Amino acid sequence: MADPHQNDIAIIGWSISPMVRNIAYTEARMLLDVVTGAVNDAGITRDDVEFTCAGSCDYVAGQAFSFVQNIDAVGAWPPKRDSHVEMDGAWALYEAWLRLQMGDIDVAVAMGSGRSSTSDPELLYSMEMDPYYLAPLGADAVSFAALQARSLIDAGKVTERQMAEIAVRTRKAGKDSPYSQVTGDFDADELLKADYVRSPLRKHDLPPITDGACAVVIATAAKARELCENPIWITGFAHYTESHYVGMRDLRTSNSTTLAAKAAGIEDGAPIEVAEIQSAFTHEEPLLVEALGLGSGVSINPSGGPLAANPVMATGLVRISEAASQIRDKGKHRTLGHSTSGPCLQQNLVCVLEGNS
Amino acid sequence: MAHQPCAIVGIGQTQHKSRRWDVSLGGLVREAAQRALDDAEMTWKDIDAVVVGKAPDLFEGVMKPELYLSDALGATGKPMFRVHTAGSVGGTTGIVAAHHVEVGRHKRVLAVGYQKQSEGNAQFALGSGKGASIGAGGAFAPYMRSYIDRSGAPMDIGPMVALKDRLNAHKNPYAHLKIQDISLEKVKASPMMWDPVRFLESCPSSDGACAVIFTDKEGGEAAAKAGRKPAWILGSAVRSEPSSFPGRDPVRPVGAADCANDVYKQAGIKNPRTDIDCAELYVPFSWYEPMWLEAHLIAGEGEGWKMVESGETALGGAFPVNMSGGVLSSNPIGASGLLRFAEAAMQVRGTAGEHQVENAKVALAQAYGASAQYFAMWAVSNSLDPFGS
Amino acid sequence: MGAFMTALADQRFIGIRSGDRVIVPPREWDPDTGEELALDFVDVGPAGTVETWCWVDKPTSQHPLDHAFAWALVKLDGADTSIMHAVDAGSIDAMSTGMRVAPRWKTERHGHITDLDAFIPGETPETNDGPSLDEPAAMMDYNATITYKTPVPTNLVRYEQATGEGRLLGLKCPGCGRLYTQGRGFCPIDSVELLPEHEIDLPETGVITNYTIITPTPYPGQTETEPFARVHVLLDGAEIVLGYQGMVDTPNEMVHVGLRVAAVWASPAERNENDPMSNFVGWVPTGQPDDTTPHLVNRLN
Repeated sequence: MADPHQNDIAIIGWSISPMVRNIAYTEARMLLDVVTGAVNDAGITRDDVEFTCAGSCDYVAGQAFSFVQNIDAVGAWPPKRDSHVEMDGAWALYEAWLRLQMGDIDVAVAMGSGRSSTSDPELLYSMEMDPYYLAPLGADAVSFAALQARSLIDAGKVTERQMAEIAVRTRKAGKDSPYSQVTGDFDADELLKADYVRSPLRKHDLPPITDGACAVVIATAAKARELCENPIWITGFAHYTESHYVGMRDLRTSNSTTLAAKAAGIEDGAPIEVAEIQSAFTHEEPLLVEALGLGSGVSINPSGGPLAANPVMATGLVRISEAASQIRDKGKHRTLGHSTSGPCLQQNLVCVLEGNS
Repeated sequence: MAHQPCAIVGIGQTQHKSRRWDVSLGGLVREAAQRALDDAEMTWKDIDAVVVGKAPDLFEGVMKPELYLSDALGATGKPMFRVHTAGSVGGTTGIVAAHHVEVGRHKRVLAVGYQKQSEGNAQFALGSGKGASIGAGGAFAPYMRSYIDRSGAPMDIGPMVALKDRLNAHKNPYAHLKIQDISLEKVKASPMMWDPVRFLESCPSSDGACAVIFTDKEGGEAAAKAGRKPAWILGSAVRSEPSSFPGRDPVRPVGAADCANDVYKQAGIKNPRTDIDCAELYVPFSWYEPMWLEAHLIAGEGEGWKMVESGETALGGAFPVNMSGGVLSSNPIGASGLLRFAEAAMQVRGTAGEHQVENAKVALAQAYGASAQYFAMWAVSNSLDPFGS
Repeated sequence: MGAFMTALADQRFIGIRSGDRVIVPPREWDPDTGEELALDFVDVGPAGTVETWCWVDKPTSQHPLDHAFAWALVKLDGADTSIMHAVDAGSIDAMSTGMRVAPRWKTERHGHITDLDAFIPGETPETNDGPSLDEPAAMMDYNATITYKTPVPTNLVRYEQATGEGRLLGLKCPGCGRLYTQGRGFCPIDSVELLPEHEIDLPETGVITNYTIITPTPYPGQTETEPFARVHVLLDGAEIVLGYQGMVDTPNEMVHVGLRVAAVWASPAERNENDPMSNFVGWVPTGQPDDTTPHLVNRLN
């Protein structure tokens, strides 16, 4: 019987760094560790890796060409086929996934890394906004999130209490994960007593500031079966973007997420059991769950999600790794990882994973 | 899983200048992209995905500008991707865009590389705001000095390359620097910037953009039928190596040779010097022309400068290099690599106008970045099988 | 966008027609079709309705107001999309979705999004006699400062300490034996961490293998005004080349391949305890005969 996955690319290993508020390592050193961890996890060495792709951001690092030091971490000697995207590692994984489909090479590593601790996110992320209409106002990421939160609340799609409960649930779930930073048993009532940071958002609605990195090893089908008892198949992978300016969009929906979910074939298979989504703000969870078309039985962010640890530029790749872990380590069969970029979920990516049939 | 053929059917670039203050950031990329669409006889709606490449965002002061540019590039409701591999980024952008088609993911992909350096201050960005920045020229000057020694090249070779590229620029309507009355004496008399490299031997800082449209075999054949000859990708490759470690040779990098050999193998090129009709190589400082000719195995070791001296690399020579005027004439960093790739494609499509190499059938393009450590190359032809296998 | 900015300087809002819609603030291209939009402008506002909002208790240094305010998406009368800007409502209790707001204009206007000082509750704009632009807006300034606080990694701390003590600290890879310096964290060839146990003091003399003389160009933060040398130094008896090093009290003309040099440390008077790196000043010729090894210039690494 033909292998139903013979044209699929599989995840065969990964590594997630410790997630901390402030790491003393360089970004390159963080990457060294996760690349070593990922190749070990996959049972290979750096020499076996034929293509590497990294996701990172000069502005987060505070230096032009910051990713150049990061090449030291991949073992690029002898020289390697290698690329870099100024996007979350989830998109680096997408590029690596495309590359392996060329058919001439079999093993790739995708990485994501970021040290958000070095600057003030309130001042930094305004710089990724429209330079004419938004950046000069210093419009920051939390303000954008707050605007979206209120439109959802006004539309009756979420309440502040539900948002608090999401914070409680995810940070409790994070306790079980070694890759969480902010965890604990919180009480929704207590949380709701806190002052707003950006009404309607309170501190618990926001992600922590995290330094962290992640690396994932993927392989073509034949190679994956050779290396690994149970490869985790990427059966769908898609991303879409929307208009940048938030006033142009209906903030109660996430069209690009819906498009990505459809193109990734969420509907074309067994039901999704677990979804690891990049909902860095509590209100984003119900919005994304709805946009992804997920039913109420789906477990969302059992890892704790970005509310427990948010290593910007790696967060999405971590979601995909956690979704893979659910298959390999927790006996699930079909899961998804999601990543996002831009104000109010401007750009969204969906990666659907399946265990062996 | 073999990959599918990929055709370039639309090319556009902006008027490259030190300051394109007549357009916004969006307007700049749009100018190139619209020209590419017009060239391909397509509209925005025909594009399935967009790949944007540019070098440091610090050069414009807009972080992750692809977010803001989604409307300018008609990407709303489509997948959009942002590549950044330093100077080689333009090349990588083209290659990643081509992959989207080659693996059958999308049918029509728009690649755009750009830089609007005048918005920020490139020297500031390169030096990360600290004093005594040595700049790119300062970083590469020792490599060029080393090449001069090991090859025995006469000191005129660098200025000769500069003269050639600056003369070629006059035949390229889009080139930034078009120096009047340029001569070898003028080059040699220009101020020494990073000994041994003089001012007129180095690249400008430009605002500019380049756009290329990729499609599949069906699309390429349809364009050919309609009289718009496509360029077919014969092979493409990238390589990276670490910046520095004891024993590294940054003058003749192993990555450069590996990348070239990969492309030649895919393309069926057995003798690069004779099988390839012309090349667009990333030469931001004059001496890089002979250096890359050797590092990419077109000329033997120590022989690259002889190709320059004999006029072989001039527009009318046996192996023309940088017919467009190259990076020495226009350098919007994020676009420069894609411009090399685009210009190579223009040559085999016969659309290079005044700087056309007659009967160019196979053209090579190369881009590099950082400490001569990132490489991206491709070979294109107007035939899918130029060497008749 | 220039037209929109010019209108702002004139205390007016305009939108651009795109199909059935009026888009504010104007885009250059139709987001649905990607086509360039004709310059078909429409007056909108001056008042509008708040579609959504949030409250900023503590404005950042970049925000448009320096006291608590609201961000809002405001759909100006006649527009089909919203503009984002500040609402100077006075208190969070004055804010609500659906409320009406009107513009308060700055007196000094430049053709910039901040010509609008903020929206205020109500229907009535606050205009003033400040002049409009003489010519349509074509350029705007945007300056930003970001401060990064980067912790110094252990190896770099130890390197700096050693420098403060007058030692050039190197690290020897336990795998391949290559030497690294300047607090390099790991060997990129073997991908192994470099630890204190791998430390080795490097020789303080060497020979110039390669160099360049740089003519400084002006840019924000530039400190140099005269051409300066940067040299590559191969250390005596150690396979390591230090790149782009500075020279001390050495005329540029004296710099050449083969020149023997020695490290220069700060004199006690020059020492700065708070900046251990400043203890290493650069390289100076030793006065010894040149190293005449052929092709020394190729030792770049």
